[in-house]
Amino acid sequence: MTVRFLHTSDLHIGKRFGNLPEDLRGRLREARHTVIDRLAAQARAHNTDIVLLAGDTFDTETPSPQVLRQALAAIGGHGDLRWVILPGNHDSLAAEELWEQIRRSKPENLLLALDAEPLWLTPQAVVLPAACTARRPGRDLTAWMENYDTGAAVRIGLAHGAIQNFSEDGIGTDVIAPNRASLADLDYLALGDWHGLKEINAKTWYSGTPEPDRFKHNRPGQALIVSIPGRGAAPEVTTVDTGVFEWRTLALELFSGDDPAERLDTRLPPGSLRRQVLLRVAASGRTTLPGRTALTLAVAAVEPEFAHVALDEDQLTTDCDTTDLELIDHAGALREAAETLLAETQNPTLDAPSRTVARDALVRLFTYCEAIQA
Amino acid sequence: MKLTALRLHNVKRFGGRGIAIENIGKGVNVLCEVNEFGKSTCFDALHALFFSPYSGIPQAVQSLRPYSGGNPLVEADIETEAGRFRLRKQYYGGRRAQVSDLATGRLVAQADEAEHFIGELVRGGQAGPAGLLWVRQGNTGLERRTKAEDDGEKRARETVLTSVQGEVESVTGGRRMRAVAEACEQERAQLVTAQGRPKAGGPYAAALDTRDRLAAQAEALQSEVDALHEALDQRRRVRSRLSELNNPEDHAARQEAVTRAEARAVKARLHAEKLGTARAEAALKRSLKEASSAALTTYAQAVERHAKLTVAAAEQDARRRNARDHLVTSQNVLESAVQAMEEAEAEEAQARALLERLDRALRAKEASEKLAALHQTLTEADALRQSIEAGEAAVRVLSLPAETIDELEAAEAEIARLKAAESIRATHLRMDYVTDDVPRVDGDGLLLAPGQEVPLTGQTRLTLPGLGVLTVRPGIADGEAGTLADLMAAALSARNSCLDRLGVDSLAAARHRQRQAREQSDDVTLLTQRLAVLAPQGLEVLRERIATLEAEGKESFAPETPISDALAQAETEAVVSLDQVREALGAAARKVAEARRSVSELRPRQDLAHQAVIAAETEGAALTAEMEALNTQLGEASERDETVRRLSTQAEIDQGDWQIADARVQALESEALDLEAVEASLSRTRSVIDGVEAEKAGLAQTLAELTGRIGAQSEHAVEENLQETLEKLREADAQVARYTHQVAVLDRLRGALNAARTNAREQYFEPVLGELRPLLGLLFDDANVVFDDETLMPSVLRRNGLEEPIPVLSGGMREQLTILTRLAFARLLAKQGRPAPLILDDALVYSDDDRIEKMFDALHRQARDQQIIVFSCRQRAFSQLGGNRLILRDWRPDD
Repeated sequence: MTVRFLHTSDLHIGKRFGNLPEDLRGRLREARHTVIDRLAAQARAHNTDIVLLAGDTFDTETPSPQVLRQALAAIGGHGDLRWVILPGNHDSLAAEELWEQIRRSKPENLLLALDAEPLWLTPQAVVLPAACTARRPGRDLTAWMENYDTGAAVRIGLAHGAIQNFSEDGIGTDVIAPNRASLADLDYLALGDWHGLKEINAKTWYSGTPEPDRFKHNRPGQALIVSIPGRGAAPEVTTVDTGVFEWRTLALELFSGDDPAERLDTRLPPGSLRRQVLLRVAASGRTTLPGRTALTLAVAAVEPEFAHVALDEDQLTTDCDTTDLELIDHAGALREAAETLLAETQNPTLDAPSRTVARDALVRLFTYCEAIQA
Repeated sequence: MKLTALRLHNVKRFGGRGIAIENIGKGVNVLCEVNEFGKSTCFDALHALFFSPYSGIPQAVQSLRPYSGGNPLVEADIETEAGRFRLRKQYYGGRRAQVSDLATGRLVAQADEAEHFIGELVRGGQAGPAGLLWVRQGNTGLERRTKAEDDGEKRARETVLTSVQGEVESVTGGRRMRAVAEACEQERAQLVTAQGRPKAGGPYAAALDTRDRLAAQAEALQSEVDALHEALDQRRRVRSRLSELNNPEDHAARQEAVTRAEARAVKARLHAEKLGTARAEAALKRSLKEASSAALTTYAQAVERHAKLTVAAAEQDARRRNARDHLVTSQNVLESAVQAMEEAEAEEAQARALLERLDRALRAKEASEKLAALHQTLTEADALRQSIEAGEAAVRVLSLPAETIDELEAAEAEIARLKAAESIRATHLRMDYVTDDVPRVDGDGLLLAPGQEVPLTGQTRLTLPGLGVLTVRPGIADGEAGTLADLMAAALSARNSCLDRLGVDSLAAARHRQRQAREQSDDVTLLTQRLAVLAPQGLEVLRERIATLEAEGKESFAPETPISDALAQAETEAVVSLDQVREALGAAARKVAEARRSVSELRPRQDLAHQAVIAAETEGAALTAEMEALNTQLGEASERDETVRRLSTQAEIDQGDWQIADARVQALESEALDLEAVEASLSRTRSVIDGVEAEKAGLAQTLAELTGRIGAQSEHAVEENLQETLEKLREADAQVARYTHQVAVLDRLRGALNAARTNAREQYFEPVLGELRPLLGLLFDDANVVFDDETLMPSVLRRNGLEEPIPVLSGGMREQLTILTRLAFARLLAKQGRPAPLILDDALVYSDDDRIEKMFDALHRQARDQQIIVFSCRQRAFSQLGGNRLILRDWRPDD
């Protein structure tokens, strides 16, 4: 009898995205709410009625009543599915009020994996949860699974936290044993916390978030459909798309001779997707003064088409030679000013911020001159 | 650098064809053709060749392209210190740049290297002008200028100085510089104030405000979140505590503990009561036992004591009698001693009294004798005093003043002398009587004694007894006789006066009185001495002593013992002698002392004896009393043994009773429960239950409060808010950082621009002005311009000997100044070893012919070492310019 379920985590419902523009914020929050519907749809599409949420379903320990109740209502709305929810580090058991409220108003099809005891999905399948007791429990909460005999049932571990350095918050102290699946004789260990999909071993997976919330992982939102043919059998894991927004980092490596605008244009996602893409252009390498201006202009030109665009030029070096300075002036005081600034950008005795200031001043000078000529 | 040829093909109106200007020489070169002939095309082409890179198609290049399209080609031959070169550029199709050496035909550089070569030719060095100097029709620079700019310039007629400054800036790239600087300033001004502070209302200030507001908000939210977490923690602790307290097993255990403790307490209390009773009984028995035992002991002791006392009483009685006897004896001895002492004392007193009396009588006698002597002395002294007083009185009567006596003596001596003198001179009579019995002649009393000469001093009548009266009158001899008589009279008068005064009749009498007085005086002296011996301190003292003595005598001798009696007694007793009396007194005193010592010795003994009697009596009384008491206590002597037996039996019985009772107490005590401990245990177990209940109640209340608080705070989604605010804050921080960076960038750019401008101005403005100064006269006809030495500002214009203020410049003057400035620059560059061609394209449109000629002169004067290329359409005017005339020819490129 094959056990099949959908493995996901880190919904972070209620996240506000305060650092983004107001209108985008609303859309991103909305996408986090509707991810429940998309997960449900994917579960149905892949013929399973079980959804395992491996922690961080809510972004904070005190979501607003609307956020909480709407999420519960959405889960309840998909009554044909059974949802197993595990406290993560963002919504750990320390958030008593949260779990109390969930307990009070949860729909029947929502199972709470709060305690370190088996949760039987079917007589043939049991979930061994390791709920986060606090934001930083300080110990491996999955340890208890090892000594717990569940007979012939398929054993599914459910946990939230870091393995090695896969910690989303960069806190690597509470490490889950990477070989927990084999130590505890699990058929599958469903992990949450890392927002990118990651296979640790054949039986241990991070599902990643179904709706990305940052540029870090550069992946679309996905969930895992896991099929376990039987006790001891290798699980079959497939990915399904669930994201509405894509957080894409476009690594733009430039060389002095390149036309940055052209290079950018070829790498941009197709226009039909752009509305749902948050784009970060990470320019690196070298470019000329006109190249830099062109890049800025090109990015600014496409910006309105995207949900959001950020240009990161920190790794981009500006090449500037006399030809470029000719564009400013052939001679005279303006040229002298430009030469001074150029010398500063290349002066190794100056600190990096001063060089950056000089570089940007030179770019600015160039921009002014172009504007005057135009 | 010098231009020697310019060729162009497919440029502007020369679509599909080319033209060339060859043989451009040193000095002034003139291309003077009608308009639309292609002068400006040449100018533009030349400019593009030097300043527009072959690879790009900026507007300057685009404008070169003919309407028909094609690829513009520009070529120029130049001559530099390094040699002669041909520069060629083609734009659009087949775009290229080449530099070849004219001497060898070798390609020196192409493409970017060619551009670099050309760049070096026109590079004016840091902040310097380009290697080509341009003046274009109607304006002064090569920069594109807006119409407004041109209009503005026409309107605002500038002074020489500002114009020159503008021209210098123009040549050194200043016009664009100004625009750039302005743009920079404008952008900066939106962000910060002149002092670099964020400008109120500006985006930078707004970003800072937002950041601060968010930071405050985040802080407030953070504290709310902290409070919520604290409340959650507390509630967790409360709940865990409550569940501990509510554990039913614990509760049952507590109840059980109480029950057990209560049972133990009941048992313990019962036992305690029993023990109490037994103890009371034992105590009673014990006191009974002790009482009877004490009675026995007391009785036995009394019997024993009685026996002892009986013996002691007998002994004591003997002692008492002894003491009494002894007392009597010692009393007798003492009494006789005292009597002896009293007698001795009486004797001594008597002796002392006698001695005293005797002593006093003797003293009185002495005093009386002394008083009598004093009285005697006083009497004598009084007599002496009277004698002295009488003597002194006699002396006073007898004594004559010595000087009067001396005077008398002198007068007598004088009289004697005078008498002698008179007698010598006078008639002397001497009668020698016949016999002694004849009558004596007498005259006037003068009796003539026989044989005695008597001088006649005057008429003298001599009675001659019996004969008559003989008158003898001595004759008046001379004057001397008269004088003598006068002196005699005076002397006599003096003697008589003295005698009168002395009260004597002669000197002899006087001397007699004198002697008498002396004798009397001597007597007085003698008497006085005697008195002094008698009463050396005077009579008064003597009298006082007498008075004192008399007074003492009165005191010493009381009336009852009149001095006489005392004296009499003293005299009678004195026979015994004072010494004897004294000796008797000494003996008596010794006797007294002896007697007293004896008494002193005896008295303590007597006291001891007395005390012994008292002690003996007291002891006796005590013994008697005790005996009496014992007798009463013991009762009749016959019953005493019986009593002792009875008492000892009772004591034995009581002892037995007590031992029984005590054994019971001990038995009970050995099995006793510690009631206090049991009670404490009971109250402790009860208090545990009470405490638990109270704590439960308290915790329940706390829990309710916490739950309420947590619920309220959770509903406000504080953590979400905090998260959001922190994210916003991060963004705001980034925004602030961006603006800060922007300001830094603009500041840096502004600094670089200002430094460059200042540098350019310093480097060129003043030198150019210096070069320009000799040329400036051209502007103002024959005027002399006077420059301020320090500022180099033209200060006055002197024309025809009159000083005028510097006027604003007309359009014509302005363009002339433009040319002159370029000339000045050219001179400067030539001096610096970098000669540059000066190219003028219809540069003099506002100037009249007269002025143009003057400019020509200036150009020619300059052109000795300076290449000047003039494009002009004013053929007539420029025909006067002279110089090398240039001709446009058709040209096709080689390839």
